[in-house]
Amino acid sequence: MRKADRIFGVIGLGIALWSFLESRKFHYMAQFTPGPGFFPFWVAVTLGLLSAYLLFNTFKRKPSATDHKKILPEAHMLLRVAAILGLLALATGLMKLLGFPLTLALFTAAVLSFLERYSLVKSIAYGIAYAAVTWFIFEYMMTMGFPKGFLGI
Amino acid sequence: MEVLVNLASGFVTCLSPYNILMAALGAFLGTMVGILPGLGPSATMAIILPITFGMDPTPAMIMLTSLYLGAMYGGSTTSILVNVPGEASSVCTAIEGYQLARQGKAGTALGLSAIGSFFAGIFGMFALAFTASTLAEFSLKFGPAEVFCLVLMGMFTIIYVGGKDITKSLMSMVIGLGLGTVGTDMVEGQARFTYGVSELLDGIDFVILVMGTFGIAEVLESAEEFMKVEPMRVKFRELMPSLTEVWQCRWATLRGTLVGFCICCIPGSGPTIASFLSYGLEQTVSKHPEKFGTGVIESVAATESANNAAVCGAMVPMFSLGIPGSGATAVLLGGLILYGLKPGPLLFVEHPDFVWGVIASMFIGNVILIVMNLPMVPLFASLLRISYSLVYPAILVVCIVGAYAVASGLFEVGMMLVFAVIGYFMKKGDVPAAPMLMALIMGPMMEKNLYQALNLAHGDLSIFIRRPIAATLLGVIVVMSVVVMSKRVRKARGTVQEVEQ
Repeated sequence: MRKADRIFGVIGLGIALWSFLESRKFHYMAQFTPGPGFFPFWVAVTLGLLSAYLLFNTFKRKPSATDHKKILPEAHMLLRVAAILGLLALATGLMKLLGFPLTLALFTAAVLSFLERYSLVKSIAYGIAYAAVTWFIFEYMMTMGFPKGFLGI
Repeated sequence: MEVLVNLASGFVTCLSPYNILMAALGAFLGTMVGILPGLGPSATMAIILPITFGMDPTPAMIMLTSLYLGAMYGGSTTSILVNVPGEASSVCTAIEGYQLARQGKAGTALGLSAIGSFFAGIFGMFALAFTASTLAEFSLKFGPAEVFCLVLMGMFTIIYVGGKDITKSLMSMVIGLGLGTVGTDMVEGQARFTYGVSELLDGIDFVILVMGTFGIAEVLESAEEFMKVEPMRVKFRELMPSLTEVWQCRWATLRGTLVGFCICCIPGSGPTIASFLSYGLEQTVSKHPEKFGTGVIESVAATESANNAAVCGAMVPMFSLGIPGSGATAVLLGGLILYGLKPGPLLFVEHPDFVWGVIASMFIGNVILIVMNLPMVPLFASLLRISYSLVYPAILVVCIVGAYAVASGLFEVGMMLVFAVIGYFMKKGDVPAAPMLMALIMGPMMEKNLYQALNLAHGDLSIFIRRPIAATLLGVIVVMSVVVMSKRVRKARGTVQEVEQ
């Protein structure tokens, strides 16, 4: 956890610095009240102090049992997570082009087929079933107005 | 007496067929969520929340509260039958319950946990009605200065009571406050941190953050590797504990209920803390503490009662003060805002039908849950045989729908994915996401009240000390901070001495 704390400390310092610089673009005080820059300024200062403390503590504290704990899972697990996120991002990007039901069907089929090793037929069947149920509930019954693709659905 | 009259009117509201149906649906979904490991009640409520947008607030909230209660009921099933707690609050149940199951007493453990949960739920509902309405009446006296101090105190309590690592919890909270500043500023109407993105002018939507950091992040973590579970088989006739066993657990159930409700009235302490405290208390009062860990039936009754009473306890600060006591109540509070209701004491004055209807629905929810859970445990347990690989794509699909529903745009879906990545790494680094979520809700509230208080006082900061309630609340924050810091200093000194030796 020591390594994770260091990473979070550095990221926190970065966000604090960015927030501090941004807060200076706004007035710190209005006539009687705090201005738009007041809250971001104090957020930056507090986050900076906390991040510095977290970072400093990683050098000073006694090693604990959790320090040896691995932060990230094995490479293959991380790859699975990345693949799921990648497919989600791809689905979001393709939604306007393909339309909502087709994108969801393809997304589900891709997850089941590539990541879960289901047969292609089963994956497509599940994909169609999930998309149909979702479309029926949210578009047909609740008229949520999902993007329509080139197929008109 | 007035409370009872209000509660009766609440029953009239919630006893409509549609509201009962919503309670049943919530209870069913909650039980499934509690049983299936991998998705907690906060995440599920967050995922369901956008879908309830078009609904009337009362049935929507009835469904969500029943879901929360159902998750607590369902959590015991997996803990006892598979030794895999569906919820963090069911860990203690797993310790003793699984041992009982191995001794052939799975049915008894499940039955007693359901009966304990039912008793705790009903007691908690009445306690919530009396406590929340009294507290709300008192807090009607609060002006902006008091509300600012109250929100500040709520945030510190959440960190000090609930946070494992105070520094990381504070960091998470401050980041949440920072996220709350995104959007149009209320003083000068300037756009802060929007960088020309029009979708950000209204601020970061709470639902997007919660679905990303709770919903998808939780799914990603569970999807890293799948667990194959093989639940023990239980027959219906084994599910009813004997009267002797119920009588044997009466005090444990009562103790668990009281601990769960009282502890969770304090913001920051959720059902998990309540169940652990209750387990510890049982061990302390037991004549045979050495038997703990080998299957003590009283402990199962106590911990399950505690985590169900905790659900009602956590709703006290939410309904009466507008402060979320836990991640799950933060989602419920976010729901109130989304439905156009103003959380806080005025809710009891402006929307009594809603508040009392939701409180009364917890009774209905508990009745549905005990009827559903006792005979249907074997069926629910068989759900564990469904592969998670088929469940998580469906959850992700619902998340996409939910994020899209927020503003009918794909920008929100993309933002949810960004928060999902952040949430995943926060989980890996043991940085809790709940304080960030609560701060996103409470930050703008805090900023608005600070602005109003100082405006009324013409910029005089002493308003926070001159007003007795505000000063008392600030005093509580100072005392809490001193206690926590002195503990840390003592601990640090101890470590230094150890190193020197």
